[in-house]
Amino acid sequence: MNVVTNNDLQCTIALAALENVLDPEIGLNVVDLGLIYRLEFDEPGLGIAVAMTLSTPYCPMGESITAAVEQVLKETFTGISVTIELTFQPPWSYDRISEAGKIFLSR
Amino acid sequence: MALGWGTMIIMGASHQLLPVLTENRLFSVALAYVSFVLAAIGIPLLVYAFYTFQLGWPARWGGSAIVVAIFCFVINIWGTLTGGNRDNVHAVYAVTASVWLLLAAFTGLALVYNFTSPFLPQGSLAYLPFHAHIGIAGWFLLLVIGVGSRLIPMFLISKYANERLLWIIYFLINGGLLSFLFLFFLPAGLSFAWLPIIVVFIALVLFGYYCYCCYRERIRRQVDSRMKISLSSTGMLWIPPILLIILVAALPVGHVDSRLVLVYGFITFFGWITAIILGMTFKTLPFIVWNKIYHARSGAGSSPNPGELVDNSLFRAMMVAWLAGSLVFIAGICCRRVPVLRAGAALLVSAAVLYNWNVWKVLTYKSPAK
Repeated sequence: MNVVTNNDLQCTIALAALENVLDPEIGLNVVDLGLIYRLEFDEPGLGIAVAMTLSTPYCPMGESITAAVEQVLKETFTGISVTIELTFQPPWSYDRISEAGKIFLSR
Repeated sequence: MALGWGTMIIMGASHQLLPVLTENRLFSVALAYVSFVLAAIGIPLLVYAFYTFQLGWPARWGGSAIVVAIFCFVINIWGTLTGGNRDNVHAVYAVTASVWLLLAAFTGLALVYNFTSPFLPQGSLAYLPFHAHIGIAGWFLLLVIGVGSRLIPMFLISKYANERLLWIIYFLINGGLLSFLFLFFLPAGLSFAWLPIIVVFIALVLFGYYCYCCYRERIRRQVDSRMKISLSSTGMLWIPPILLIILVAALPVGHVDSRLVLVYGFITFFGWITAIILGMTFKTLPFIVWNKIYHARSGAGSSPNPGELVDNSLFRAMMVAWLAGSLVFIAGICCRRVPVLRAGAALLVSAAVLYNWNVWKVLTYKSPAK
């Protein structure tokens, strides 16, 4: 679940917030599911660019998940603009699930 | 049964699932509505015609409406596939299934016309096995395997993937069907009737193996009851071809037990196809409803799991009624006892009522007030 970033501190805060965004079907959050690829912060703190994926293109829950990511980041970093780039390069694979995520799913 | 229950619900679900299979947007929503309206008009007309056995205008118009509805469906599938990932094995299954469905519908319409204005060498009943098996193996089986092979690993979160095996299954089923068509019109074809059945049976065993591997290599350990039902229907797939092999073996002796034919038809439609629909309805419908209710509220606090939109008590009661009803009805066919058949039918009607009640509850689900 390696996330590329240009600001480690802000990224840690963002990922902690994004742990509240769950895939509704699986019940696992988007961070442990490995859906977040990149979090880039504008230096003046004006915007966040998120590159993320879905477990499958045209996932029925896709729009809900991306909308939730945007909303949670806007709530965490008040007054900041959030742009989300949905990418399938590289495609998501099960290897992106974190160890905590694998333990959650194996319960 | 085949059109009103099986085909209509699977055509509806296909419009929803095609984008997931082809990784592309649905070609035309308007065409999907046209297809639905025509099928919703054509199927009741055809049911009325069969029930009253008046194969005049209601059967002809009903059959024609269904053929046009299916033609719209095929265009939609083809348009969606050509704009998406063409090498996708699941999408190729769906397109091929829709073409077989169109062929089955055309054949059905031709048989309706042949009833009142004969133009074929034999009576319509002689062609019924041809029409029925294009529909069962070409449409239902191919589509269920194409969609199932995508959804089963997706819902189980399974690491297993074997596209090569899916292509082998695809060629076996289509090879079996083509050889069946060839043998059907060959004068001595009956002697080799076992060949396509064996080929399709091998394909089913391989699909069972595929599902088993998906299950074995799943990351998500907990499997909900809806998925269990869908997976168990894979095992049920093997029963109809086994019955067919017994029936074909009895053909040269000249003693085909009509009860076995009835059990074969019953298990195919009320067993295998119904089990998949019962399981998958309550797996996929909650997603659609959930998206409508919670899309705007994403991230704004806790929302239920889509599975929580289903009333699990009703679901369990429905499954018990369906299983008991099916077993009792099969017993009734075997012992030729009308009271047993009535008891089985009553249980199956109860299962249908519970199914509709639960679907209604999902469709009218209201988010609890906070």
